[in-house]
Amino acid sequence: MLLRSVLNRFPTQICSKTRQFQTTASLAKVEDRKQMLASLPEKDEGTAGEKSIGIDSLVSSRTKNLFVDADTPKKLFNGVPFCELPICNIRVSPNNTIVSLSDHKGLIQMIRSCGIEGFKNARKGTNIAAQATAISLSQKAIERGIKTVRVNVRGLGPGRMSAIKGLQMAGMNIVSITDSTPVSWNPPRPRKQRRL
Amino acid sequence: MKHIKFIARTVFVQNNNVEEACRVLNRILGKEEIFDQFRRTRYYEKPFQVRRRVNFEKCKSIYNEDMDRKIQFILRKNRVEPFPGCN
Repeated sequence: MLLRSVLNRFPTQICSKTRQFQTTASLAKVEDRKQMLASLPEKDEGTAGEKSIGIDSLVSSRTKNLFVDADTPKKLFNGVPFCELPICNIRVSPNNTIVSLSDHKGLIQMIRSCGIEGFKNARKGTNIAAQATAISLSQKAIERGIKTVRVNVRGLGPGRMSAIKGLQMAGMNIVSITDSTPVSWNPPRPRKQRRL
Repeated sequence: MKHIKFIARTVFVQNNNVEEACRVLNRILGKEEIFDQFRRTRYYEKPFQVRRRVNFEKCKSIYNEDMDRKIQFILRKNRVEPFPGCN
C-alpha cells in the first residue's frame, strides 16, 4: 500500500530509474541495449570543432591567408614551391591509422601504421597509437632531411587529430592540412547495416 | 565529387597553430554536410529510413525558419544604431 502511494506520487522518476517492465525477456534486452548505447560517451572521430559555430572568426582579417588562391602552388615554403612539397598522407579508420610520406608526385617513401608500431587489435584504433605512429614516422623523415610537409587526411576516426598533432610534436613543419575523405552523393550500394 | 587535390578542402596552418587549422577545416566540412554524407554512406540506408530522415529534416527546417522569424521579430529595433557599443 505504501509502495503504491509512492509510485503514484513519483511515477516518472521511478520508471526512469528502473528497468522497463516487459513480459518477454528478449524485448527487455533490446530496451536495455538501447539505453546502454545511448548512455555511452560519444565516439571520438577526430572532428573537433565540427559542431561549433564561429560567429566572426572566418570573416576577420587574420583569415586572409588561411585559404588557397591562384598563386598558392608557386608560393615558396622554406625555398620549395607549395606544389613540390612532400606530402604526408594520413589514412584514418575507426580501427587503424596509417601514416605515409611521399614526394610531391605521390611516390611513397616511408610508411608506418599503428599495427607496425606494435599496437594490436583494439588498441590500434586509439588516438594514442596514432600519435605514436606519427611521431615515429616524422622522426625518421627528419633524419632524412624532410622537414616541411603538407598533410593530407582521409577518413574519420580517433587518430584524425592526434596523428597531425604527433607530426607537429616530433618537429615537423606542417604547411597546410587537406581533407580528401572520399564522399559521394550517388555511391554504389553500401554494405548492409550493422546489427547492434 | 572530384576536386583538385591541395586546392580544394585545404587550410593553411598559421603560426604553427595546427589545432586551429584543423578546427576550421572540420567546421567547414561539418557545415557543408560532407561528414554527414560520409557517415550516412558507410552502410546502406533503407528506403524507409531515407523517408523518415527526409521528413524529419523537412519538419526541422520549417520549425527553424519559423523560430528564426519569431526571434528576429522579438529582437527588432527601431534605433539608428541597433546595438550601441557592440561594434
